[in-house]
Amino acid sequence: MKDIIIEKNSKKVLDNFQDLFVARNEIIKHASKKINTSEDEINHLSQILHPNKIEVVVKKIVEENSLTKSFYFTTEDGSSFPPFIPGSYITLEIHIDNRIYKRPYSISSNPSHLNEYRITVKKEGIVSKYLFNECKENDKFTLYGPFGHFHYNSLRDSNEVIFLAGGSGITPMKPMIEDLLIHKRVSKIDLIYGTKTVNDILWKKEFDELTKKYKNFHIIYLLSEEKRDDYSYGIIDESLLRKLEPMNKTIFISGPTEMYKSLNELLKKLNIPNKYIRHEIYTNIPENLGTKEYKLVIRRNNEKITIPCYENKTLVQSMEENHIDAPVHCTVGVCGFCKSKLIQGTVKTENSCLRKKDQELKYIHPCVTYPLSDIEIELPF
Amino acid sequence: MKYDCIVIGAGTAGLISALTLQKKGKKVLILEKGINPGGALSSFKRGAFEFDTNVFPMYGFGSEEKLGEKMFQQLDLQNKIKMNFENELFHIIVTETNEEYTFSKGIESFEQKMEEYVPGSMEVMETFFGLCLDVKEALEYIKTQKTTLDERDLLQKYPNFVQLAPLKVKRVFEYLNMPKKVIELLSVFCNYMGSSIKDLSFVYFANFVYTFISSGPCYPKNTSYEFVKLLEESFKEKGGVIKYHTKVNEILVDNGKVVGVQANNETFKTSHVISNVSPKMVYEHFISQENVPIECIKLENERILGPSMFTVFVGLNKTKNELGIEHTHYIITNTLDSIKEFEKLHQVFSGHLIAHVIEEQNTTQVVLTGMIYKDALKSFFTPDHYFEIKEQLEDYFVTVFENATGHFIRESIEEIDLATPVTYARYTGHPYGILFGYLAKGYDNLLPRMFCEDEENKIEGLRFCGSYGSRLSLFLDLMENANEVALKTFGECEE
Ligand code: FES
Repeated sequence: MKDIIIEKNSKKVLDNFQDLFVARNEIIKHASKKINTSEDEINHLSQILHPNKIEVVVKKIVEENSLTKSFYFTTEDGSSFPPFIPGSYITLEIHIDNRIYKRPYSISSNPSHLNEYRITVKKEGIVSKYLFNECKENDKFTLYGPFGHFHYNSLRDSNEVIFLAGGSGITPMKPMIEDLLIHKRVSKIDLIYGTKTVNDILWKKEFDELTKKYKNFHIIYLLSEEKRDDYSYGIIDESLLRKLEPMNKTIFISGPTEMYKSLNELLKKLNIPNKYIRHEIYTNIPENLGTKEYKLVIRRNNEKITIPCYENKTLVQSMEENHIDAPVHCTVGVCGFCKSKLIQGTVKTENSCLRKKDQELKYIHPCVTYPLSDIEIELPF
Repeated sequence: MKYDCIVIGAGTAGLISALTLQKKGKKVLILEKGINPGGALSSFKRGAFEFDTNVFPMYGFGSEEKLGEKMFQQLDLQNKIKMNFENELFHIIVTETNEEYTFSKGIESFEQKMEEYVPGSMEVMETFFGLCLDVKEALEYIKTQKTTLDERDLLQKYPNFVQLAPLKVKRVFEYLNMPKKVIELLSVFCNYMGSSIKDLSFVYFANFVYTFISSGPCYPKNTSYEFVKLLEESFKEKGGVIKYHTKVNEILVDNGKVVGVQANNETFKTSHVISNVSPKMVYEHFISQENVPIECIKLENERILGPSMFTVFVGLNKTKNELGIEHTHYIITNTLDSIKEFEKLHQVFSGHLIAHVIEEQNTTQVVLTGMIYKDALKSFFTPDHYFEIKEQLEDYFVTVFENATGHFIRESIEEIDLATPVTYARYTGHPYGILFGYLAKGYDNLLPRMFCEDEENKIEGLRFCGSYGSRLSLFLDLMENANEVALKTFGECEE
């Protein structure tokens, strides 16, 4: 490029050039010495919304029915809980016989009351049985979260929506439905709530009141093991679903694993695009698992621990049994928190929630991984 | 155990610094508060979609200069990453006046396109690009000068550069007597860089614009997470240690020298720290106040933070064709007045955004990014309404895109999420969630930063890399800088 002349005087050219740095030094010389104390509200908000953990106390326990109890938590220091989108879950950490368990539970309370979180637990696995039988008021726990993407989104989801709940799958839907109704976010809600018997129905009174108050909210109670007047009988099948005119409506599903499986088939048959199907997270245990025992070598922070593991137990379950504090949040292969490198061995696993590169580099989610040989993995931290 | 160097933050720059030192035989530890490498460069899954969190393209690959390739070679990444090269630079839509302009990569093609839009502009464009090249060459030369600059020598070798160095973009455009429309179209880049023609230094602008136009944009095929993951893997393979979920509490300083780092109640000894965390955070939170030199506080007090951003990630269940979308990279702007537009970036609902469109197996991702200066965010979010505001913003961004392009996308949304400055704060810890570092303005432009860097390091053994460092936040500069910072630290380790 030929030379240009913006400034003729070459001394001035050099002066101007040097000024670039001289000016900086001058400005800094005369700058204020006061240490900045103004609050960074964005980082502050990020901490409010996503705390590392929440220490809580059980304030109240309510028996909803013979197999289900609700637990009301307040924070240990009396501060409010993080705001959350209805449908979110928290992870509860619980210590039983020196073993550390972490389990996800939907928040069944409403986000307008952040002085408490409520979870509603059915007596099923080790942890929920413990909660059901042993947990007392004033017991202390650690929570993580809130997490999850099982939410209504006004841009993505339709204006008329369908909720399909099975058993305690109703828990995340309770605050979701209330939120949609109270804030008039949708024009119509149909809920099919399937349980075994009438006694298993949670919050029936509250739901019935809602249907009275909001004319655009309809419930079909569906009993699978009891025939009663005023209640439908059976499971969610094609003809029942068709009655709700499901085309172009967002369908929220939450319930036991078998329900997802049968509904997925049904929705496929009806040609409902994925866009309209929103699942709560759920456990999907593979069929035909063996029972053989293998060795699981765990690398973590330069340490190596070896424990037994079994074909019919996830690697996280084996860690729990062996008193290892496994890094888990969702426990069902969705959140990515437990993501670990598989260094050696073959496994049966579900990796659809892993990023492409992680799949390629043989990362796994130990919470949904079953061993098929001796295994070596490296935990993330 | 003592480490030769501790790198704080496994962001892109932190990883590159760590790798560079390690390749020179040093024992390096990386401490990262999150659980994944990459910081701002990452990806996340929503349903069937994997979104790249890096919304600005990579560049410098595939051109004659091969700057990107050289960088990747130094990092042993050559041929390991599949890149999607794009021919189109961007498609500009001016919403107030309904004008549209499309530019493709290559200097000549750019000049021709400009000639088409502004007949008679060829000559001035050639001069402009000539000057850009001068700037690039001079910068390359400066980088090779280890000791302090000899300005006279520089004036002799690069007279144009020395004259241009103190000038803002606007002044140079005026000097070149560019037609108004040329100025307007070129200044779209200034907004793209988060600034305006009256603030941005010509040198910084020219260096980027030339490299970007000549090489064109490219994106790692498997998202930029692939890039950072490979950096991480190669660091670990060679014995490097990264501790995730490890938040640094304090950089220990004794007598003006770094002596260690405390994190998760553990103390790690070292004499050298490279911080991928911003100086602002480090001086305010990581070093006990009596150990922070007064000059550092003064400098921080004078600096202005750059823009933050909102990004809406939209996963659509149709192909580009079905949606009728033609272009890959849109710049949607209210006007072509760069100064006015820059002012708009101080409002949340600015009407100014960048859209990137990626097609993959019968689906399309549309990623919409709006820059925003932090003043506009004052009291904008409240914890109780945060999620509500998020939905409003999603709607707003999608609406701006639909209105500008005429493509109706909302019916086809399968997944959608919005990253706000709060999200970026969560994953990077940067002040106000700002990813672009300090604003390139006046005395805090590229050259003053570069030249004053060493002298401003007032704590022995502490250096900074990343977007808050001396080479600012553009992809290639940031990578080069991380490498240089590591080499300087290496030099000090050897002393
Ligand atoms: S704990 Fe969420 S993926 Fe394993």
